[in-house]
Amino acid sequence: MSAHHAIVFLLTGAASGLVGAMLGIGGGVFLVPLLTLAFGVPIRAAVAASLVSVIATATASSTVNLDRGLVNMRLAMALEVATSVGGLGGGLAASLLTSQQLFLIFGATLATMGALMVMRSGRRNVIADTSVDPGRLGGRLQEGDTTYVYRLRRMPLALGASLVAGAVSGLLGLGGGIIKVPVLNTFCGVPIRVAAATSAFMIGVTAAASVFVYFSRGDVVLPLASAVALGALAGSVVGARLGQRVEARALKIFMAVVLLVVGVRMALEAL
Amino acid sequence: MTDGEGGRLERLEDTIELALTVGLGVSTVLLLVGLIAGSDTALRWGVLLLMLTPVARVAVVTVGLALERDWTFTLVSFFVLAILLAGIWVGVRR
Repeated sequence: MSAHHAIVFLLTGAASGLVGAMLGIGGGVFLVPLLTLAFGVPIRAAVAASLVSVIATATASSTVNLDRGLVNMRLAMALEVATSVGGLGGGLAASLLTSQQLFLIFGATLATMGALMVMRSGRRNVIADTSVDPGRLGGRLQEGDTTYVYRLRRMPLALGASLVAGAVSGLLGLGGGIIKVPVLNTFCGVPIRVAAATSAFMIGVTAAASVFVYFSRGDVVLPLASAVALGALAGSVVGARLGQRVEARALKIFMAVVLLVVGVRMALEAL
Repeated sequence: MTDGEGGRLERLEDTIELALTVGLGVSTVLLLVGLIAGSDTALRWGVLLLMLTPVARVAVVTVGLALERDWTFTLVSFFVLAILLAGIWVGVRR
């Protein structure tokens, strides 16, 4: 790999890490299409590099988010059960669906989620009354001088979404945050910042479930994966900090636009 | 959530943060050295260490929760750890 290529891959990783950490999605959903379509990297090598980079993004942003008390650990642990089972199931089911069907289902799901997020972006999930009991899987969130409380709603839906997110990760080599964050925020009562931080905390584990298989197959091209991961590391540290400063509503709209664009693009890929 | 429970969870979060920072720090140095010096050995260990960092994180959480005698979440965390170890086992066996 030439120095020129290394710099291009570093910058590609940095861009996906930045957006990924802001939204708690890891960035694999941008990285795989970018590496394959723009740089002609073979799909398996792109997926493997993406998984390594997702781990880097998740780990780096989690150190920032843990410090800020944004990660809901109990919720993350409970949902990790579903994502890891989903990851395993996704890997096994990969042979049952054609990639066209996969792209179409995935694209349609994302675009629908994006549209729903836009429609519900004005709703706030937090309660300013701190005497309200957040429950075992809810929590508290500090924003400026105000402490808010949020309660988890529709746990079965959160578990279902995590199962699907894990399956998608196993099938397509993503972190799966692009499914979890919108569902947790839009339907389960989790504030967008907490949803993003908790998702980022989980996706490293989701990616770690399948990355060793890719590594042993020789799909991890070391210079490529390293350059992308280093870029993602730098980008995600900035992204996690930036996510704090941006208004919650702006973050939701940004996420919705990302969902719509990626969803439509993936659906078109299938046609 | 009582104050005591919140404090314990906070301490566990500090330990997790430390594990993540160490894993990330060492792998970053290895990846940088590997890319600059063109050493595949440094790159291989850097990538492997990065891949193992989330596994170490889950192991830390499992032990931390067991020490706190929070058996429900210890079991939950142990289950996730078992899935990850199964993934590594499948990788090693190939």
